[in-house]
Amino acid sequence: MNPHAQVCLQHLLRVWLGFERDLSTVPLLRRLDLGTYTVEDHLCLLRNLRQQVIEGSRWITRTASSFDRNYAEIRSTVIAHAVDEHRDYELLEKDYVASGGQLEDILGMERNVGSEALHGFLMYRASRNNPVDLLGAMWIIEGLGEKMARSWAERIHELTGLGEDSTRFMTYHGHNDGDHMQRFYRTLDDVCVDEETTSAIVKTAQVVARLYRLQLEELNHDVE
Amino acid sequence: MSVYITSTGAFLPGPPISTGEVEGILGMVNGQPSSLRVQIQQANKIQTRHYAIDAQQQTTHSNTEMASKAAEQCLDRAFLDRQSVGMLAVASTQGDLPAPGMASMVQANLGLPAIEILTTHGICSSSMMALKAAYNSLLVGDHDAAVVVSSELSSRLLKKQRYEAATESTFAAKRIDFNTEFLRWMLSDGAGALLLQSTPAPKGYSLRIDWVRGFSHAHALPTCMSVGSAGHPGDERTWQDYDSYADAERAGALLLRQEVRLLDNIIRMGVDGYLRLVQEGVSEPAKIDHFLCHYSSHHFRSKILEMLDAAGVGIPEDRWWTNLYTRGNTGAASLFIMLDEFLRTDEVTIKEGDCILCFVPESGRFNTTYMQLTVVKH
Repeated sequence: MNPHAQVCLQHLLRVWLGFERDLSTVPLLRRLDLGTYTVEDHLCLLRNLRQQVIEGSRWITRTASSFDRNYAEIRSTVIAHAVDEHRDYELLEKDYVASGGQLEDILGMERNVGSEALHGFLMYRASRNNPVDLLGAMWIIEGLGEKMARSWAERIHELTGLGEDSTRFMTYHGHNDGDHMQRFYRTLDDVCVDEETTSAIVKTAQVVARLYRLQLEELNHDVE
Repeated sequence: MSVYITSTGAFLPGPPISTGEVEGILGMVNGQPSSLRVQIQQANKIQTRHYAIDAQQQTTHSNTEMASKAAEQCLDRAFLDRQSVGMLAVASTQGDLPAPGMASMVQANLGLPAIEILTTHGICSSSMMALKAAYNSLLVGDHDAAVVVSSELSSRLLKKQRYEAATESTFAAKRIDFNTEFLRWMLSDGAGALLLQSTPAPKGYSLRIDWVRGFSHAHALPTCMSVGSAGHPGDERTWQDYDSYADAERAGALLLRQEVRLLDNIIRMGVDGYLRLVQEGVSEPAKIDHFLCHYSSHHFRSKILEMLDAAGVGIPEDRWWTNLYTRGNTGAASLFIMLDEFLRTDEVTIKEGDCILCFVPESGRFNTTYMQLTVVKH
């Protein structure tokens, strides 16, 4: 990778490592670490994740449409990504029911305070011309998908006694393999060619990390 | 003003113990061989280690004795009159006495008169805490020479009697209790010592201390390695909260535990601290000639090392050096034992100007410590 992309990756690694560490301070996720996570916690987490997943497919498609022809390569990547994931929320709904929840409860959930902030920020950035900074958002959100598969799903089964059908959404996202990273490095190398882009990508990663954690801190426990 | 490591010493008790002999020293709990030993030993790849207990689990050397022997060797090798030592800093996870501090006991053994002492309490990184305090004492001009010692006698925590007494613990209740057994097949005993001076040694190489830094993440992450809790979720009691020490021991509150599931965090935080030092311009990866790490490279998930390489800040594997596989994981003592052998081994050619990065991560509650040294000649 070019030197700007390398510096960018160094910063992105630190943003990710800080995000991952600070997730341990989120009460519901801390219970995963301390061994006190319950089925109720799991239902609450799934209810609150659904809105973000629905909105996720919207900002990704908006991002794709904001790239002009000079960014055709990255646009193709983003479109493929959007196709992959735009109906993931249906998987979450099935997991919710398999975990003992009522379908109407998860369908009836509003965006929590953090989801509002995260969605608002992502749609705003995605609406700008050639929003390459959203690579920073993908870095965080993809990383979290991989972390859910790697470290949450099995732990949730262990602590709650729920089966694998309770975490299909989480395990489905564990595709952050070597190829995936190589693609990310290539994209970063293509678009991150100056200091300005580096700081834009890092800043967006920082904001998304903070707002994602806010979403998990603001878990709405009420079932309408 | 600079501070130099001008002499080193180490003490490893008894003969090297091979992997297959370990259970003969620590003992079979209730006469039964461990079902986890081989798996854990294969994962840590340690070939030989030393214990300060014998096959009857009787202590052969106290922690104070081991620390003193390492310090004696370090001072015997130094171009310095002992009377010039102004400070003694001693690190250990657990001294022979819970009180007073271990530095008092080591000072008495060494017969160093009327010096300033410091005992640091922690786990692996306590050695770096002691080293940094002594380094700073020299920097501000309080002393011209300080001895820093780190010593560990963990086998007393790992012998079979500890586990047999924990009749109401998770270890007794579960068929397999990985968190309680993990460190039993990981840790061993030994001591290391460094002499710090404000001038390089008149002969041979000295190591100039360029900087020592640490980052602790206890504010965010749960306890990962500990003694004092029975390890039940939601139970906040620690060993002194039980009616008797016997009750605490029965409950398993005196067993050494590692939350193995959380262990990856120490690798992540280790990488984070390293990247932070790179970003601050404190550490320059291209200039690192030798990397002495308290963990072996095989503990780092290859993915995170690949990411560091991709980001242009990886440290090539041929610059890593460790004696963990032959001297064992001696916790706080490990870096000093490593430095002592590194300066003498034929495996590496050291030359003036070489830059050495040392890294001591502590999984206790995630403290990561770093030090850079430069090889100098008087």
